[in-house]
Amino acid sequence: MAELWRPIRKILREPLGALGLFLVVLVIFGAIFADLLTSFDPTRINPRDRFQGPSAAHLMGTDQLGRDLFARVLHGGRIALFVALVSTAASLVIGIVLGLIAGYGPRWLDNLMILLFDAMKSFPTVMLALALVTIMGPSLTAVMVVVILVTVPGYARIIRTQTIALKNSEYVTAAQSMGANPARILRVHILPNVIGPLVILASMDIPVVIGIEAGMSFLGLGVRPPTPSWGSMLNDGFTSIRDTAWIAIAGGIPIILTTLGFTFLGETLRDVFDPRLKGR
Amino acid sequence: MSSILKKDISRRSVLASASAFGAASLAFPNMAISADGSVLTVRSYSDLQILDPAFWLSLPEADIIKSIFAPLVDNTPGDEWGWRPVAVSSIEQLDDLTVAFTLRDNIGFTDGYGQMTAEDVKFSIERIVDPENESPYAGDWSALKEVEVKDKLSGLIHLKNKFVPLWTTTLPTAASCVVSQKAVEELGGKIGTEAVAQSGPYLLSEWVPKQKTVLKRNPDWAYEPGGFEEIHILPIEDPATAELGFEAGDLDYTWTAVSSLPRLKENPPAGSVVEEKPSLAYVWLGINQDNEALKDVRIRRAIQHAIDRETVVDAAYFGAAAVANGIIAPGLPGNRDGVTYDYDPDKARALLEEAGATNLFVTLDILNQSERLTAAQVIQANLADVGVQCEIKQNDSGTFWTLGSKDGDYFMNLQLVLSRFSMNPDPSWATVWFTPEQVGVWNWERFDNAEYKALHEEGLVESDPAKRDEIYKKMQALMDESGSYVFLTHEVVGLIHKDTIDPGLKPNGEPLLPLFRPA
Repeated sequence: MAELWRPIRKILREPLGALGLFLVVLVIFGAIFADLLTSFDPTRINPRDRFQGPSAAHLMGTDQLGRDLFARVLHGGRIALFVALVSTAASLVIGIVLGLIAGYGPRWLDNLMILLFDAMKSFPTVMLALALVTIMGPSLTAVMVVVILVTVPGYARIIRTQTIALKNSEYVTAAQSMGANPARILRVHILPNVIGPLVILASMDIPVVIGIEAGMSFLGLGVRPPTPSWGSMLNDGFTSIRDTAWIAIAGGIPIILTTLGFTFLGETLRDVFDPRLKGR
Repeated sequence: MSSILKKDISRRSVLASASAFGAASLAFPNMAISADGSVLTVRSYSDLQILDPAFWLSLPEADIIKSIFAPLVDNTPGDEWGWRPVAVSSIEQLDDLTVAFTLRDNIGFTDGYGQMTAEDVKFSIERIVDPENESPYAGDWSALKEVEVKDKLSGLIHLKNKFVPLWTTTLPTAASCVVSQKAVEELGGKIGTEAVAQSGPYLLSEWVPKQKTVLKRNPDWAYEPGGFEEIHILPIEDPATAELGFEAGDLDYTWTAVSSLPRLKENPPAGSVVEEKPSLAYVWLGINQDNEALKDVRIRRAIQHAIDRETVVDAAYFGAAAVANGIIAPGLPGNRDGVTYDYDPDKARALLEEAGATNLFVTLDILNQSERLTAAQVIQANLADVGVQCEIKQNDSGTFWTLGSKDGDYFMNLQLVLSRFSMNPDPSWATVWFTPEQVGVWNWERFDNAEYKALHEEGLVESDPAKRDEIYKKMQALMDESGSYVFLTHEVVGLIHKDTIDPGLKPNGEPLLPLFRPA
């Protein structure tokens, strides 16, 4: 238990880290307990109540269809976090596997995979999203596929570089001479030594992923209506921003807070666990 | 240089710089580039896809086409529908079946295609009717027998029968634009997006897809010149975005969102004029009756009863538009007071149960615009209320306007579609798109009714307004009965322009680009 608290204490000692942790916990709490925190159905329309300002009944007001914005923010958090966590986790797994194969495998395979990573990385995110949505149609799955395609090459490249650096180290050579097969060497001897920086990097990528989801939903390429999404809320608010700015504010604030939270937390984690990079 | 960058740039410094830049932008919000007096910048709601007068897809294309390929006649600006000569020095209806015309004597085609002649007029009109060309606008000239060339500049348009909408919805439209026979034949029979052999008061000089279309005054046009040296047309699909563009000074004229009209009329931006025009257009929910899941008319009727049209229109347009009862707007023969289906969720549920359509799942395709999305979400909620799950599919304009085309591969999968058609001032121009010939062209509901077709033909030759009224009302009742239509609204047209320009507008607010003038 003390082992678990030590890094948390280190994070809490850093003001930005503490703020980041607080914001992340706040967003996660809101998403998990959305049903308890509000009695409104985020998808139920009631045009007679449209464009109501913030009040005791509707903490953040209502949108153009009379839907409660606070409920939509909380439930939108579920979507944002689901996309961010699931697709980042999937990207990590795929990136690690591909990076290990590229770094430990034969030279020709390494060259081929580097070419593949660079080709994937060269696609502009928005163009890639538009192309994928044309093929798959707008959906949450399309958003997650875009995120995975955008982030996997970066993770795989980092793992590959570190694997190449480690594969000729003495303890790996020793394991090889004792007859350990490549899968065991990668799993037991290399993976634990390369995964740390990647986890920190992934935590800092979460705001990027949330931004991709919100951006695609803003453009109508992501989450389908009536499912609440912070991006689609921004789009709703953009239409009536001059009269009813609170819709755009309600959609924008959680994106800003979540982005800041994960960024501050990620940077503090990096400073705590890899002091060489502190201040970069 | 690289060392300086390495030293000074970090993630945090970039974030700090971005914040400072954002703060500066907020402090100085009016740093837009002001429009040059010789350039008119207008917004169109869709980008150019084709320049052929026989195959245009959207109204903004027709505006451009009529500016660069001179039509025989075009509409007059103002509050009354009328026409004015453009390519002709004279045009006259001699009797019910004959129209005589004489071209102006020095209209030339660009790119070395010579002078515009009566042969070109004959070619331009007859190619629209030619069944081999499958022009969606063949109906505009459905009464045409032939164009007879009398001499180099004059000829006779012979009709097979009396044709009432000739002077309202055929001649003053792109259907009377004159193209060069030689040029079109060299192009293989169809004009694409490359403007060759132009002849109008403006010439298309540049088209950057999704960015802008530039028209320049035609130096060889010897008649009433365009009011501006250049017209820049920016394709901006969402009217709310266009309003922001206008307020930033990037546009001189744009249609607004209907839902923005109350706000803009109350608080017009400085130096601007906000106008509201009666619209002839119609918006409706179409249901593809050939789609496997929707073949049973009881399911389609159930959907009609499930939709609360009042709420859909009120929610989408914030009370600025009224509910429509058909495709023919008030003021035209055939405008109706009501539809034959009412909002009755219980009846909808009963019909669905009778048809055995439990757990029905449908898709609803829409254009990616805020008003359409809002309307679609109310429809989605209405359908959910009777047990029909509906998925909304947002499309950009390029994709949307080909969804129901028989040339594509989606038309049979299309289920529900929220559409809006622009309109000319004759009821036949509304009904023509739903005839059997238009199935898979513009008739995406695939409504195929022989009686409707016969009534449409009857309406074209009937000049008694009372009888026409009866004919067109009956046609819309047949559309009701098919279960394939839920009529929503005619909208209104909201537009905003700088007070430094005098826009040339049809009575319904549609632009006549060559007639825009500096105020």
